[in-house]
Amino acid sequence: MREHKIWRLAMAVACLVGVLALAACGSDDVGGGSDEDVQVAQSGPVEGKLTISNWPGYIDPGPDGTVAEFEKKTGVEVDYIDDITSNTVFFGKLQPQLDRGESGGRDIFVVTDWMAKRMYDLGYVQELDHADLQTVFDNILPQFEKAAGDPDRKFMIPWQGGQTGIWVDTAKAPEIESISDLFDPKYKGQVILLDEMRDTVPLVMQSEGIDVDTATKDDWLAAIDKIDKAVDSGQIRKITDNSYTEDLTAGNAVASLGWSGDGSLIGRDTVEWRKPKDACDTFFDQMVIPVGAPNTAAALAFMNFVYRPEVQVDITAWVNYVQPVQGVQELLKKQDPELGNSKLIFPPPEYTAGCTEDPDPPGDFEDVRDVEGAYQDVISG
Amino acid sequence: MRAWKWLREHALNIYAGLAIAYMLIPIVVIAVFSFAETPRDRMNFAINDGFTLEYWQNAFAVEELNESMLTSLKLAALSTVISTALGTLMALALVRYKFFGRRASNLLIVLPMAAPEIVIGAALLSMFVIYSVSLGFTTLLIAHVMFSISFVVVVVRSRLIGFDRRIEEAAADLGATPFETFRFVTLPLIAPGVMAAALLAFALSIDDFVISNFNSGTTVTFPLYVYGVALRGIPIQVLVLATMLFCVTVVAIALVIWQQRRAERMVQAQA
Amino acid sequence: MRRIRRRLVPYGLLAPGAIWLVLFFVVPMYFMGEMALRSGALEAGGFSFTWEWSNFTDALDGRGEQIVRTLFYSVTATLLALLIAYPLAYAIAIKVSRRWRLILLFAVIAPFFTTYLVRTIAWKTILADPSPMVDVLKTLGVVPEDGRVLATGGAVIAGLTYNFLPFMILPIYASLERIDLSLIEAAKDLYASARQAFLRVTLPLTMPGIVAGVLLTFIPAFGDYVNATVLGSSNQAMIGNKIQSLYLVERDYPEAAAFSFLMMAAVLVMVLIYLRAAGTEAFMGAEDEGR
Repeated sequence: MREHKIWRLAMAVACLVGVLALAACGSDDVGGGSDEDVQVAQSGPVEGKLTISNWPGYIDPGPDGTVAEFEKKTGVEVDYIDDITSNTVFFGKLQPQLDRGESGGRDIFVVTDWMAKRMYDLGYVQELDHADLQTVFDNILPQFEKAAGDPDRKFMIPWQGGQTGIWVDTAKAPEIESISDLFDPKYKGQVILLDEMRDTVPLVMQSEGIDVDTATKDDWLAAIDKIDKAVDSGQIRKITDNSYTEDLTAGNAVASLGWSGDGSLIGRDTVEWRKPKDACDTFFDQMVIPVGAPNTAAALAFMNFVYRPEVQVDITAWVNYVQPVQGVQELLKKQDPELGNSKLIFPPPEYTAGCTEDPDPPGDFEDVRDVEGAYQDVISG
Repeated sequence: MRAWKWLREHALNIYAGLAIAYMLIPIVVIAVFSFAETPRDRMNFAINDGFTLEYWQNAFAVEELNESMLTSLKLAALSTVISTALGTLMALALVRYKFFGRRASNLLIVLPMAAPEIVIGAALLSMFVIYSVSLGFTTLLIAHVMFSISFVVVVVRSRLIGFDRRIEEAAADLGATPFETFRFVTLPLIAPGVMAAALLAFALSIDDFVISNFNSGTTVTFPLYVYGVALRGIPIQVLVLATMLFCVTVVAIALVIWQQRRAERMVQAQA
Repeated sequence: MRRIRRRLVPYGLLAPGAIWLVLFFVVPMYFMGEMALRSGALEAGGFSFTWEWSNFTDALDGRGEQIVRTLFYSVTATLLALLIAYPLAYAIAIKVSRRWRLILLFAVIAPFFTTYLVRTIAWKTILADPSPMVDVLKTLGVVPEDGRVLATGGAVIAGLTYNFLPFMILPIYASLERIDLSLIEAAKDLYASARQAFLRVTLPLTMPGIVAGVLLTFIPAFGDYVNATVLGSSNQAMIGNKIQSLYLVERDYPEAAAFSFLMMAAVLVMVLIYLRAAGTEAFMGAEDEGR
């Protein structure tokens, strides 16, 4: 009997040693971005397969859609996946592969500008040679020639953009017109906010009169605290990603923060988008080519393709977001005067004056992480 | 008075009926909604526009859905085969032999069942990340087999416990080698248990969401696909396919049961 | 030679499965523990091993309410499942004819085949604010007039109970089926009332099934996050939600690993205490019957 016990102990120790030996094979440092030199996307013959990851409802679909047109014109087979519903979740999903220089099979991502910059800083994104993107830079609207995070347009090309505002069910809550209205107890439990921190928190800060560009970390945390209290009290029903369209459709909410062009995703006719009276937030999503993209030539060709006004006008007419190409407004006015004159799609400068552009919290990346962590705590308890 | 008596006698059965109805409610709802017309071809949570057969007629119109379903079926099939084989062997070892390390092995089997799925999924992710293993179908398969083995062992084991060894001894007495005994005597007799275990493993794999979410990389299984579209509008075809999956399983199990009955009746007839 | 071969047989049978489990369960657990002691961030050069014990305290910091809430939801769901499952299992095992038995058992397992997520979303549809079902509940007074079902604790508990019901039914059914009915007859012959027969004979004999069912329901319920996400809101977030957020959204792997580790430890402790109370043979059962 006693021998048995000694045997067992010996076995346990042997196992432990074995496992530790295995573990020693693992790398010391995990993550941290790749250290290699930045790749530049190579152009070349346009053929093969192209894989694009994008947000839902962001391109005109179907056999007459832009993707089908591109396929017909170039012979490239396109796999268009609309699997991005949240910048952070998408990033989290792909990060391990991007870190190893793989793109998860994708050639183009469309992510919001701040996320594109973050990916670039981590070395997850390839640089673009302007010589390969003639059509893009010939046709891009002047206000988009430079971007705050990418002044020389080295790595990101605008896709579509818009404003974050309030989708309101006019049948049930017609009086909601501002961010402060969302905190009105009258609508307790029927209000939804976005889990995209850089959309929600700046709007809340603005509704309190704080200038986002000069806001301090404490201002951010205070706004997050206000949201937290509203969640605790039951005022805010949920904080979600793109799925707010589902709750609006189902009638579970009367108002939600949301993106200006998402109309096609909401299945309830009485819901309309309103620009808040006390806050304003614009965003612009960008195309990037990730490291390890299998078909950069086709990716570059696609970018050039969608910058042709006659192609872009189809996208804009369906998607209803702000677009970056010259000459599109004139074309659209002829096709559909109402859309062509829409302030949402072609915002005049006054319409977007004073709007923030999806800012980062101030400070170094530790501070950013603290703020992000605080917001995540509100979302997941 | 009579009514009362009848009620008391059948109370349990009535309860059972209600309970079963409760369990089937979501399935009925899904089936019903698969016939509902919606303007954007995605689920609208209410039936406002009447009924239609168009989604059943175009059941395979959504590319990504089909791919995810195929991936799930492939994954489940492979996972079932591997885990049932490994698990059955383990069950045999554990029930029939007393050997050193038996208690430790029992513990090893029980632990995965005792760990919450999120912990298992996250732990696997940690290991894959540290070893820089690329996430995808293979990592999914590894994970699915892993969590299925324990269940297979438990099911097969309970079947093995009531097994009468004397039949095997009789076969040996009649000159069969151990291998032949296993193949022609043991295996057929434990077959129902093994089938049940396989069915369970298949269901667990098709159903799995949490562990797959952590370890799939960019491979999309059916549950992962549904999770993705649930956030932005579920194509009605999802409901169609889910109902189809359900019906196919009903038919499959019905066939198995019918087969069993036939076999039993034949045995009885010969007795 | 023959004797040695015979002794090696069980190891041969055991090896493939055991190796798989060790490689893909035990080792990852070790790595999770190791990750829990790292620090750093993805953007700042990666995670390095620094014996960072503070991850464990950070994980628990301010999470007390969430932990209690998770316990409450999972325990309630388990109890509800037990209450619903036992009579149902009893009916199937003892009361109905053999023919119906298979059909009913199948009806119990069938929902499994429409995938977890689809079932939960179906409930989200059924319980949506403007739905007829909620109206009925309001009329019955179960839900207040201006209230709702979704995004409340009740919805999450209902979802948890429903989803894990088969796990409770099947083990209880299995142990009920094995009971020799003549034992109950004997009890009745000895003048026991139906109630006494049940409490003194049936119930104790089915303890292994109950123990197994409770464990198979409680453990996944404790770690679940899907029900809270689909049917609940931030106020119903469970531990699972936070772990998932830490891993997949915030990518704070060390804290996530520490939290998972603590959760696993907590589950093991609870299970051990429960098994002590219920008796370990009740669970490990008849395995020593192997000859």
